[in-house]
Amino acid sequence: MRTNAFVVYGGAALAALLAGALLALGGGASPLQAGAALWEGMFGSAYAIGSSLNTAAALGLIATGFTVAHRAGLVNVGGEGQLCAGGIAAAFAGVSLPDATPTLVALPLVLLVAFAAGGAWAAIAAWLKVSRGTSEVITTLLLNFVGLAMVLLVVHEEGLLRQPVTSSQTLPQSEPLIEGARLPLLGLEGSPATIAFLIAAVAAVAVAVLLRRTATGTRLTAVGHSVTAAARLGLPVRRLQFWSLTSAGGLAGMAGGALVATTPFVLAESFSSGYGFAGLVVGLLARGSLAAVAGVALLFGLLASGGMNLQLAAGVPASSVQIVQSLLTIFIAGAVILRRTS
Amino acid sequence: MIPALELHDVAKSFGPVRALSGVSLTVQAGEVHCVLGENGAGKSTLCNLVNGGVSLERGTMTLYGEPYRPSRPTDALAAGVAMVHQHFSLVPTLTIAENLLLAAGARLRPRRRELHEGLARIEETYGLSVPLDELAGHVPVGVRQQAEIIKCLLRDPRLLLLDEPTAVLGPADVDALLATCRRIAEAGKAVVLVTHKLGEVTRAGDSATILRGGTVAGAGPLAGFGAEDLVELMVGRPMSDLDPLLVASVDESATSREAARITAEPVFRAQGLTLSRADGTLALDGVNLEIAPGEIVGVAGVEGNGQSELVTVLSGAVPPGSGSFLLGEHDLTFATPRGRTAAGLGIIPEDRHHEGCVPAMSIAENLFLPRLSEFARRGLLDRSALHEAAARVIEEHGIRATGPSARMSTLSGGNQQKVVVARELALDPLVCLVAAQPTRGLDIGAVDAVLGRIRSAAQAGAAVLVISSELSELLALCHRIVVAYRGRLLGPVPAAAPQARDEIGRLMVGAAA
Repeated sequence: MRTNAFVVYGGAALAALLAGALLALGGGASPLQAGAALWEGMFGSAYAIGSSLNTAAALGLIATGFTVAHRAGLVNVGGEGQLCAGGIAAAFAGVSLPDATPTLVALPLVLLVAFAAGGAWAAIAAWLKVSRGTSEVITTLLLNFVGLAMVLLVVHEEGLLRQPVTSSQTLPQSEPLIEGARLPLLGLEGSPATIAFLIAAVAAVAVAVLLRRTATGTRLTAVGHSVTAAARLGLPVRRLQFWSLTSAGGLAGMAGGALVATTPFVLAESFSSGYGFAGLVVGLLARGSLAAVAGVALLFGLLASGGMNLQLAAGVPASSVQIVQSLLTIFIAGAVILRRTS
Repeated sequence: MIPALELHDVAKSFGPVRALSGVSLTVQAGEVHCVLGENGAGKSTLCNLVNGGVSLERGTMTLYGEPYRPSRPTDALAAGVAMVHQHFSLVPTLTIAENLLLAAGARLRPRRRELHEGLARIEETYGLSVPLDELAGHVPVGVRQQAEIIKCLLRDPRLLLLDEPTAVLGPADVDALLATCRRIAEAGKAVVLVTHKLGEVTRAGDSATILRGGTVAGAGPLAGFGAEDLVELMVGRPMSDLDPLLVASVDESATSREAARITAEPVFRAQGLTLSRADGTLALDGVNLEIAPGEIVGVAGVEGNGQSELVTVLSGAVPPGSGSFLLGEHDLTFATPRGRTAAGLGIIPEDRHHEGCVPAMSIAENLFLPRLSEFARRGLLDRSALHEAAARVIEEHGIRATGPSARMSTLSGGNQQKVVVARELALDPLVCLVAAQPTRGLDIGAVDAVLGRIRSAAQAGAAVLVISSELSELLALCHRIVVAYRGRLLGPVPAAAPQARDEIGRLMVGAAA
């Protein structure tokens, strides 16, 4: 059984790799050359590893939240929208605080505000779910687009967050956050890695403890497996559903806050980089295990920065990495279904 | 004569669990062969082996003298082996005719004329017919099962397997089914009837194989066994060890028992409960019922007369349209499930898998889900305390499992029900216990355990309401029996009255009391 799983997952990875090699060939580079560029982008420099860690932190936070909601049987497809809500709130807080606010006050405040905003965004869907029975898959998905549009709105409107327009070259983005609201670097030589990585790690450990070692976690599991049985046994089903989805939104919101509080410290149009959706994929692939969340988030973070280098060094479009990632997702999902039916 | 089906030294394991080992069995054409055994004895695995659902690990099978080794159910069908499953496989939103057409396999154009020819043949040979234009979801369970059997017969099988076919049927439907089995056998086919109910076996079977723990405990013509021998072979201990109540319910004649003298004030009071269905008709039409502490009241009746709805209202899953439900001083009419539990109302739900327990979670978690906060230490769940408490319950209730952390889904139906019963009986104080079909699908050993527990709950002072389609069981267990008929409760009939069975039978079809 175990070996079977290994073969299946290994096979999935191999098949994705093969597809990647073909894509590299199509892009005009030899697979070896492309592989070397990818590797260089992933592990070649402290800078590469650092930016991978930052990406991994955001993906990890979102996937951790996804896992919480998933434990209660809810599928949070709204990471992107919640990320946007969190980013907007963090930017508002981060630019309006007095300049001299110390980091110890400003940073927790910004992250908290981001958490609350992401949570509130998810709470809309959660409330609809528990009071009206509306499918959270639909509501969270649709709220993504509202969230993305709101980011556009606030960075284009001077009355909202747009930096003062001084020339036609002024980018539609917010002013930079105050010094104290920025995420400190981990302090590794030449690395842009911030403490976001630590925050994500702490969140994952806390959630792992919550889910596996507390009564609440067991209750969430019960709700996730059988709403009818959980209700029959007197568990507060609606409250558990509401708060699990809301916390999932909170964690995604915090990821948004962390992105805004990382270089270049502004809220810009495409600040989310699709991490909300990528985080969802990480959560899906991890299948409820937070150790797997950490692993897959790290892998996806590394692949993202590797992809950039692939484009720069080997001339292969960075999107081919996304194709490989998507293939990997499909293969693994397929393998899971295959194993379940066999 | 070449036997219809012959199994020789068959074995099958699932992971570490040996489901069958060294099983040999011979079924002759033209006979009804009963496979008996408790849940977990390997009956279903045996069925699935023959039907191609699981593959053989060791041993050989022959079908009418030819080696037989199906690797999927379609192979079995092609070889002339059809199976009526325990859970029906009709599409509820299609008519019966459409369901039967579907079963004929994927075709571009459904062959209606052939279907009608086939049905005419089946009606002539076996006397079986079904309303073709009714939706499968709208006909009674008995009719649905007939449709299932017809679906199999349309393929003209040489061997028909029925897996626990009577689990969901009322007494009249059971009789009809057994008569059908006989007719199919008389037409020269082999019928394998898998069951744990002895009454059926003795009425319909020619020969039997008794399984216990995955091995053959006994086999031979049924004439050679007494009812007591069969019970002893199934459970592996002498009949005298079993609850006399159970013995009464196995033996179909109701026992006379001293009339109970219940004088205490009723603690369970349901007044004028009504509940509408989606189409506006009344599922419950003014239910009045009072139960005193220590009293066991049974609800008999043909299924679909409001029994299930009564339980959903009493358990708080659905609020009643009108009426009230009081437990002692507490008005529980609109209380939450938690509120009901706090007032001392234990519920053994009808649907064990969806409502009674969470199959994917452990025994310990299922036992203590409503009381997890009792096991919290500094915010964390004290799993060792939880498992210790669960181990005590497992020991006390004789639940067969590998341990407190075993998943519910790995347990047999009987042991799952024991877990549910243990959890509900653990309420302190237990003022009232509502048990809906508590023994459905259970084997004799488990029925014994569950009924014994229910009775001792009443002896300890709880008011008990048992809803069951097993009349013999109700007669043996209850003090009074009411009969559900079109959303009302008719009766009561004292269970000890000599004419109780006939009286209830009349009420079940709506004859005036």
